Amino acid sequence: MVMASGSADYLGLANAPVLWILAMAVMGVVVVQSLIYMNAVKKNAESAGMSQQEVKSAFRAGGVAAIGPSLSVVLVAIALLPLFGTPPVVVRVGLIGSAATEVASASIAAGTMGSSLGDETFTRGVFIVALMAMSLSGAGWMISTLLLTPVFKRSSHKLEKVNPALMSIIPGAALLAAFAALTFRELPKSPTHVIAILVSAVVMTICLFLAKTLKQPWLKEWGLGISLLVGLIASYFAHYAGLGAPEA
Amino acid sequence: MSNIITSPSHAAFERTTTKWGSLTLFIGFLIATSVPFYLLFVADADVNLGEILKGFLAVFAVYGVFYIVEPLTYFPILGPAGMYQAFLIGNISNKLLPSAIVAQDTIGVKPGTRKGEYAATMAICGAALIHVASMVLFVGILGTWLVSIIPEPVTLVAKLYILPAILGGVTVQLIASLRQVKSTLIALGAAALVILVLIPLVPVLASGDVAIVVIVTIAITWFTRNKAMTDKKGPSDGDNVGIN
Repeated sequence: MVMASGSADYLGLANAPVLWILAMAVMGVVVVQSLIYMNAVKKNAESAGMSQQEVKSAFRAGGVAAIGPSLSVVLVAIALLPLFGTPPVVVRVGLIGSAATEVASASIAAGTMGSSLGDETFTRGVFIVALMAMSLSGAGWMISTLLLTPVFKRSSHKLEKVNPALMSIIPGAALLAAFAALTFRELPKSPTHVIAILVSAVVMTICLFLAKTLKQPWLKEWGLGISLLVGLIASYFAHYAGLGAPEA
Repeated sequence: MSNIITSPSHAAFERTTTKWGSLTLFIGFLIATSVPFYLLFVADADVNLGEILKGFLAVFAVYGVFYIVEPLTYFPILGPAGMYQAFLIGNISNKLLPSAIVAQDTIGVKPGTRKGEYAATMAICGAALIHVASMVLFVGILGTWLVSIIPEPVTLVAKLYILPAILGGVTVQLIASLRQVKSTLIALGAAALVILVLIPLVPVLASGDVAIVVIVTIAITWFTRNKAMTDKKGPSDGDNVGIN
């Protein structure tokens, strides 16, 4: 667990009003983008045979499904507050990146100055170098997305012309492959990781089964939150029963 | 772009999302990157350019390949419009894609169809607004107070196991929603082989592990497809569900 030393003199700086404004501006950009996209879908849904009711349902389902993951990310993010200050955490975790990536980046960058996160070697200068490295790295993802997306788009339009079936097969297969790979990647980490995956998978299976047999469609939307919560509770007991990740 | 009033069309959707998606992503990039530069200029810290470069290069050495690999991996899933959302907001595998999967399952559409793409876009918008609300309220406003009342063992468990606890459920819902038995088996087999066998043998490939599984799965699914069923369907068929 990373914790700042009591005398972290940069925290006042990290909580400066200007940074609060920047953090809120960044969140504002996300909201504006979402509003524009929602409007674009609403306007053009008809062309795909999608009713306004379905547009609303999709929006609500996405929002409900995000509640569990969002609250869990909050738990992780607030643990970083004593280390980085509030506005930098909102910007780093709230935009591209995740809590895990940001902590790893910060600790790698601090290491180049012979310092480590959270102890007295983590000074004002190290803090700025670490935050700079995290931000530039996040910028790397954004810039390459801006540059690569038009390229990918042209290629996929070309592929679609060559064989229309291709684009109906690729997204589903890619989605299955990505989640299968991400899940398998968690397996070797510790017995508790395996338990977290299995419990969450079983709870979801039950939710989906009940949603179908009892005709309770809300269980499809809330299933993710429920399986995440039960999965985390099971992990809690497994972890403190000694089955946890070795580095913890 | 001129103010022509257009009738509903996918071209109009792509035009709007490309223009505004890339613009908002660029503005997000500018604001986020200005944070450390602001600190650098106002803080009275003894930091030189060499130290910053060294710190960044060390991080780049670990994550640089992901700048290319992740957009490549997620493009076939997200499509151009979704790319600008996902790489602005982040939290792609733990929040945005799960939301898209749940929404597609809820209204009963498949990825790879227009309707599926629109459902995913709306779902990501819903997830984005929940994301912003949770960040502003629970991290921005209440964060300092929450961190003082939530016991550390709880935050530790959340930190360590949030991803597997999401992935187990999402993967099940994805499989149930797609109902493509063959693709599912190919994906699970490819993932097991690549992650549990190939990567331990050739650790240098580790950063491209998900991308390798995605490419292998797409290739096998494609070459073993039932041509009679898939290849005669035209692009205008909105409910084209792919194979099986």
